[in-house]
Amino acid sequence: MSKAASALAKKTPLPSKEATLFKELLTLYETRQLKKGLKTADLILKKFPEHGETLCMKGLVMTHMGRKDEGIDLVKKGVRLDLMSHICWHVFGLIQKADKHYEEALKSYTQALRFDKDNMNLLRDSAQLQTQLRLFDNLVDTRHTILKLRPNQRQNWVALALAHHLNGNLLEAKMIMDHYLRSLKNIPDYDTEHSETLIYYIRLLEEIGELSEALSILDVSSKSRAIVDRTSILEIRARILSKQKSTEAEEAWRALIEHNSDNYDYYRGYLKNLGITEENGSSEALTKLQELVDQLPRAAAPRRLQLTIASGDEFRNLIKPYITKGLTRGIPSLFADLKALYADQEKQRIIEDVVEACREEYAHLSSVEPTTLLWTLYFLAQHYSYLSQFAKALSALEQALTHTPTLPELHMCKARLLKRSGDYFGAARCLNDARLLDGQDRFLNTKCGKYLLRCGMIEEASSIFGLFTKKDAISPAADLEDMQSLLFLLEEADAYRRNGKPNLALKKYMAVKKIYDEIEDDQFDFHGYNLRKFTLNIYLKLLAWENELRSHPGYVKAAIQASKIFVSVYDDPSIVTALSSSSHMTDAEKKAKKKAKKAAQKVQDDKKVTPATSTDKDLEDVKPKDDDPDGLKQLGASDPLEQASKLLHPLTTLVPNNVDVWIAIYDVAIRRKKLLQAVGALNHAVALDPSHPELHIRLVDLRIAASSLPQQPPAPIGPVFADALAKIIPGELSNETFNSQYLQRHSSNPQATLAAAKVSHKLKAPRDEVEAGVFALVGPEVKLDIATALSATEFLAVLQSSRVDEFRAACQARFELSTVFKGPPELVLLRQQVLSGTSAGVEDETVA
Amino acid sequence: MNIRLAKVEDLMGMQACNLQNLPENYVMKFWMYHAMTWPQVSFVAEDHKGRIVGYVLAKIDEPPEEDGAAEIHGHVNSISVLRSYRRLGLAKKLMLLSQEAMASIYKASYVSLHVRKSNKAAIALYQDTLGFEVAKVEKKYYGDGEDALSMRLSLKDS
Repeated sequence: MSKAASALAKKTPLPSKEATLFKELLTLYETRQLKKGLKTADLILKKFPEHGETLCMKGLVMTHMGRKDEGIDLVKKGVRLDLMSHICWHVFGLIQKADKHYEEALKSYTQALRFDKDNMNLLRDSAQLQTQLRLFDNLVDTRHTILKLRPNQRQNWVALALAHHLNGNLLEAKMIMDHYLRSLKNIPDYDTEHSETLIYYIRLLEEIGELSEALSILDVSSKSRAIVDRTSILEIRARILSKQKSTEAEEAWRALIEHNSDNYDYYRGYLKNLGITEENGSSEALTKLQELVDQLPRAAAPRRLQLTIASGDEFRNLIKPYITKGLTRGIPSLFADLKALYADQEKQRIIEDVVEACREEYAHLSSVEPTTLLWTLYFLAQHYSYLSQFAKALSALEQALTHTPTLPELHMCKARLLKRSGDYFGAARCLNDARLLDGQDRFLNTKCGKYLLRCGMIEEASSIFGLFTKKDAISPAADLEDMQSLLFLLEEADAYRRNGKPNLALKKYMAVKKIYDEIEDDQFDFHGYNLRKFTLNIYLKLLAWENELRSHPGYVKAAIQASKIFVSVYDDPSIVTALSSSSHMTDAEKKAKKKAKKAAQKVQDDKKVTPATSTDKDLEDVKPKDDDPDGLKQLGASDPLEQASKLLHPLTTLVPNNVDVWIAIYDVAIRRKKLLQAVGALNHAVALDPSHPELHIRLVDLRIAASSLPQQPPAPIGPVFADALAKIIPGELSNETFNSQYLQRHSSNPQATLAAAKVSHKLKAPRDEVEAGVFALVGPEVKLDIATALSATEFLAVLQSSRVDEFRAACQARFELSTVFKGPPELVLLRQQVLSGTSAGVEDETVA
Repeated sequence: MNIRLAKVEDLMGMQACNLQNLPENYVMKFWMYHAMTWPQVSFVAEDHKGRIVGYVLAKIDEPPEEDGAAEIHGHVNSISVLRSYRRLGLAKKLMLLSQEAMASIYKASYVSLHVRKSNKAAIALYQDTLGFEVAKVEKKYYGDGEDALSMRLSLKDS
């Protein structure tokens, strides 16, 4: 018989002896007696070496003993030998599921179900996979099957309802829930599961629009105490009554406010229900809020809301006691609290008046606590710093520091001020001073580490972080990565990027990406778990959140920055080779690297547990060794543009209003010669922000790319592309004119000015013309900022311009407090001072 | 600051806040597990920009039925407020909201927590402001070897 035929032929069952052994094998696997299981499998295989199911089981057992690759091969072999065995496909599915290959796993499970369609295990696992993959049609079918087989298991009803809900069929979901709820008997009192189920049902009714029904069930269940969650009851009540425009709604919102007077949403709901807008100056709103202030004297929210709504004299009358109270109490966050009001210039001025008046008053009154003056000065320092009036801010800070040099908040404030004025070393030094004043506080430690990263002191930052990371971790960085610290990874990545180490930067950005992959994967177990616990409402919220996971700013940042690195490596592969040559490392660096490697190896060795073959090494436990510690392999990957494209793809739907996303997509698309995708990306960008400087550069870039095409691409691409291009840049304008018109329109905008200079360079304008364009930044017209000034300096350096130092000097003159424009020797000195001495006079024993 | 029930979208902010403030940290799945199991007892404080500046992560301990004597109780796994938002009474408010939910929804008899022996500020909050009592000392409870005070507050009506 041919191999294929033999595989498809109906398998002759094992004789009774081996059949019994096989049953034992299954039990041994389930009870994780792996060594015995292996022996049992081998016994069967001695007589029947081609028994697919035994091979599969043996393979499965091996994967749990740390022999993963061997095991998987065996499983595959077993499946091939017995394609109609549900056990084989089930095992295959398990392996694939453990490796997170969910689509393949589902295929295997589906195959298995063909041969054993009522297998509960298979059905439940399939349902989990279908939910993970968001295949809700199929999920409904599976849940239906499960319910038919086990109608007495309560969660199966609820599971089917949820499946319908997720599949968009709310009415069907409701019907199932109806049936289920009516069938319940002997519900225990105060049952949280039943309570959550009822809340789900009511929310379902609300979503369908059956508000009266929802409300009546809510009221009945609330009276009978079937629903135990009072907060949910009050919230749903208020919401439904508002939707019904019922007169009872006002009372319902008041009840919520009394239940938790610190929740702003309740106040907003209350006002909205009364038809009162929160527009500036709305006296109705202020009156209502004042009522609440009087009734709830301890509530902070209504007072704060008043400040948002009031204006003019009314605002002044409200803000004065608010500020005075905050200063007297010594609340460090007072400024952070009021900062949101600063968008309104009048309010900003009034606040300044009030606080300055307080300063005057407290400086002279002896009846006031000395600390009140201190907090007043602290407020003023933050206030002036925010308004970039650095001299005033520093003066207030110095006064405060003389008064109380041991208050970490003052040093933190100074650090922030110096950061904003471009002195990153000074900022880090101040934050270290703050840190030393309270060594037990991780917050100060984290901030200090962050500021060290901001000025490129990566190793020093690691030592500081190491004061709070796990002692048995390979390194502080490794621990922070294990604990999924996005803050750390992104800051470190940025630091490496600025330090000219794109390999390490990329490595960290990709580590961030991995964390999001992990979080996406984390939801998997909850597809079954939440059903068992009947926590249905939060489960639906979980799925919705996971759908939007990569819209989170951490992912957006990592994806864009990583894509930029991939693009730069594509443009200039020599970057990789330059980094690879270790001759770039100083002797000290090489020594340090060797030492670190040894230490890391030692930790790894200490951790190695002697392989006890009976302990279950779960498939997921084995951590892959890092075979690319310098990130050079990744940086030198053969498909940088494809990787970049994959990273950016989710953002097109999740954050379509982010211009930077479309610019990044353009950069990748144009290099992949995907013209329509490229012009499409720019179209999106134009719709969002037509004057965006980076967009301007790309528009010209696209024009140039289009004109340098050897021939027009074949239809339909060619004409569509040409059409689209003409729409965003009118054909009659030459590139040079387009550029100079842009510059004219935005001549006071620093980023636009720099963009225009970069474009003129691209258009091969003479060097001195380009340089003049850059120097316009330090002219009187342009409102230059430090970040743009730095970019401009880098640009001049790349041009190998002879005027770099001149430009730097001009920037230094403009930004007096900054240190970023100083030359290398000065910077080295400043760097040494960061951790060496302290202005607070406290001994630093942490840095060797 | 806005103080309300923790939502799924808050978990990442809570994790970030925890990483900034405390050495005892947890992976996202741990945070999710709490939210998915006891969605009503964890609360957050957020600033005007929606950033999480404080949180309380709590759970409910339901002893097995065989253990007739043991009572249902709440447990505070982690609570923290960013340094820049201290002195606003946020920790107190977060605790009170969590305790209320534990008592009313789960009928918890008491709430327990661990605190570092040296953490005077926290101990003052629990003992003086909220009324916790020290149940016992757990030697070398923390990763760095420090002792913990195991504290308890009865939630039963007096």
